[in-house]
Amino acid sequence: MNPQPKIIAFCCNWCSYAAADLAGISRLQYPGSIRIIRVMCSGMVHPEMVLHALNRGADGVMIIGCPLGECHYIKGNEMALARSEVIADTLEDQGFESERFQVAWVSSAEPERLAEIFREMSGRLAALRGAPQVETIAGD
Amino acid sequence: MRPRLSFEWLHACSGCEIALLNSGELLLDLLDRVEIVHFPLLMDHKYTSRAGGEGEVHLPEAEIGLVSGGVASEEHQAVLRAMRASCRTLVSLGTCATHGGIPALRNQWPIAAALKTVFAGSEGGTAIPDTILAPLDRVYSIDEQVAVDVSLPGCPPRSESIIEMIAALLAGEPFHLPCKSVCETCPTIRTGKGQQKVRRFLANAEYDPEKTVAEMRCLLEQGLLCMGPVTAGGCGGKDAPLCIRARVPCRGCFGPVRQGGNQLLDMLNALASNGMGHRDIVDRRSLLRFSGAHGLLKPLRERK
Repeated sequence: MNPQPKIIAFCCNWCSYAAADLAGISRLQYPGSIRIIRVMCSGMVHPEMVLHALNRGADGVMIIGCPLGECHYIKGNEMALARSEVIADTLEDQGFESERFQVAWVSSAEPERLAEIFREMSGRLAALRGAPQVETIAGD
Repeated sequence: MRPRLSFEWLHACSGCEIALLNSGELLLDLLDRVEIVHFPLLMDHKYTSRAGGEGEVHLPEAEIGLVSGGVASEEHQAVLRAMRASCRTLVSLGTCATHGGIPALRNQWPIAAALKTVFAGSEGGTAIPDTILAPLDRVYSIDEQVAVDVSLPGCPPRSESIIEMIAALLAGEPFHLPCKSVCETCPTIRTGKGQQKVRRFLANAEYDPEKTVAEMRCLLEQGLLCMGPVTAGGCGGKDAPLCIRARVPCRGCFGPVRQGGNQLLDMLNALASNGMGHRDIVDRRSLLRFSGAHGLLKPLRERK
């Protein structure tokens, strides 16, 4: 088994993806098992996308958007916040620990903070030990 | 020879069978067009033949096989496999067959806990009878166990829809539901501005009984928990959805709009995205009351 927990990170195009870009240019270190998926806005990440990632074997999922109040689309990250409440509430119902999901807000000028929350998440998931049960949803 | 029809029930309540029998004159037309070879609600029938070995299930051959109910025991499994083997076209009829339905609410608990609750004996012991059929670990929908050719959900499906479906199969035409949500087939008035709170359906919706459904305000906008946005439409045929016609919010019996969708997650997401209080829902897991199969409802994990 891969020693590093696999993490899917949905990063918004305007802030957190730019921060990840800057983290790369600045040669900041964070675990290599993080898979960044660029989305135009954190508000477009449907809870089913998060659950799909977990069902297919990801250890954890993160949604990272612009700081609240600074969304490029005015209110997109507020929707992401509302949706992330739904995810946090229902994860246990679906058989996953609530620690497997995290929402965070990072501006494009905070690459250190981004690397830090990546490391924190990775450490937390490593502590959980073991991947979630892999179950496929019929019809996928 | 007329095409043969076989109608088996598994973990079901006979509501789907009654819905077919309740179709009035359409049923008489149907009886002229098909020959019923197996229908446990109507006629007595042996499940084993002399040719079959001990315990082996044999059912008569049929062109169209309808199955209602989910799969909850090894007996259901054996009967379902016999149905698949004996029927050319297999139809899962009703929500229990397509999505688990009400019996799949049992999937919220491990099987041992469910049996202990149901067969509670005196003095805290259990009285699980010896004759109980070997239960499976959870309730499965038909398509989780065997290949299914046609699905028609509904609790129960509308009589006319069942007849339409059989007629389409007899004519060799494909039968599909419209792949739309209940909302897309609902004529009520939507203004885009509704209540911020979701209330339980303890008091009736506001409407004028003299006026048609199309002149009623959307029930979700009235603050009632209507599952229309996340439920497959088509229950009312070309007219308004059945529950909405009765001025009652949709309960979600047609299952998710998209195959593999999750009504619980989708409904909470729909509420949250529109700024409605998704935490007002008292028992959110009951949003999967009709679609608990496919592993969607599962026992809560115990935290260490």
